Amino acid sequence: MDFIKSLAIAASGLRAQAGRMRVISENIANSDSTSQTPGGDPYRRRIPSFQAEFDRSLNAQVVALGPVRTDSSDFRVKHEPGNPAADAQGNVKYPNVNPLIEVTDMRDAQRSYEANVNVISATRNMIQRTLDILRNS
Amino acid sequence: MAIADIPILSMLRTRMQWHQQRQQVLAQNVANADTPNYRPMELVAPQPQGTGGLQPLQLTRDAPGQIAGLVDSSTFAGHHQQYEVRPAGNAVTLEDEMLKVAANQMDYQAATQLYTHSLSLIKLAADKS
Repeated sequence: MDFIKSLAIAASGLRAQAGRMRVISENIANSDSTSQTPGGDPYRRRIPSFQAEFDRSLNAQVVALGPVRTDSSDFRVKHEPGNPAADAQGNVKYPNVNPLIEVTDMRDAQRSYEANVNVISATRNMIQRTLDILRNS
Repeated sequence: MAIADIPILSMLRTRMQWHQQRQQVLAQNVANADTPNYRPMELVAPQPQGTGGLQPLQLTRDAPGQIAGLVDSSTFAGHHQQYEVRPAGNAVTLEDEMLKVAANQMDYQAATQLYTHSLSLIKLAADKS
């Protein structure tokens, strides 16, 4: 039945957006994680990616979370000579995580998630209407 | 004659199948709303077959001085497809898709209601025999 397929497609969207939220929360949680060794690199921001996959059993393009890549932009550098993670010049590298970008990304993920939930409830309504034919006749 | 062969029921069934199929296409668009290089898809609207369908009103010329109608007789609304392609190459607009999902749901509901009423008409005819 096609409605089940619609539900499965929307569920793939939910899964992908939930995975994106996981990566975003990882970034936010680690926004101050410095290196354990002096002068080493801190946590590097991770970027989720999406890819459309053709699902043969559904005969439709579902979405899946692709490889999670890392952000190659520069780290924030602070001068903290007393910090154990500081290099010879007394500079400490902090992760290249910008909370503002993460929060914006999170809102975007939330919006997409809600859209998929909307599709699911609309489809469920339509299934309900189909069953009503049986009930009322 | 089987119930399924009654013209109005088979017509409604075709309509309902079209809405099911469209729901799948729309779900696909929404699920891929963040996929790079994804372009939204849409199902082709069903074309009435045979001579039964109503023709849209046409403008005509009955004097040589008149100019041909400027209005496209097929539709007044016209095609106003809006495309907003984001830098990632994705062209899905969630608002549009949500509107389409809601419209699809309502049209499907109309079809199922008509189906129910047609069935009850048949039942009425069979009961009072």
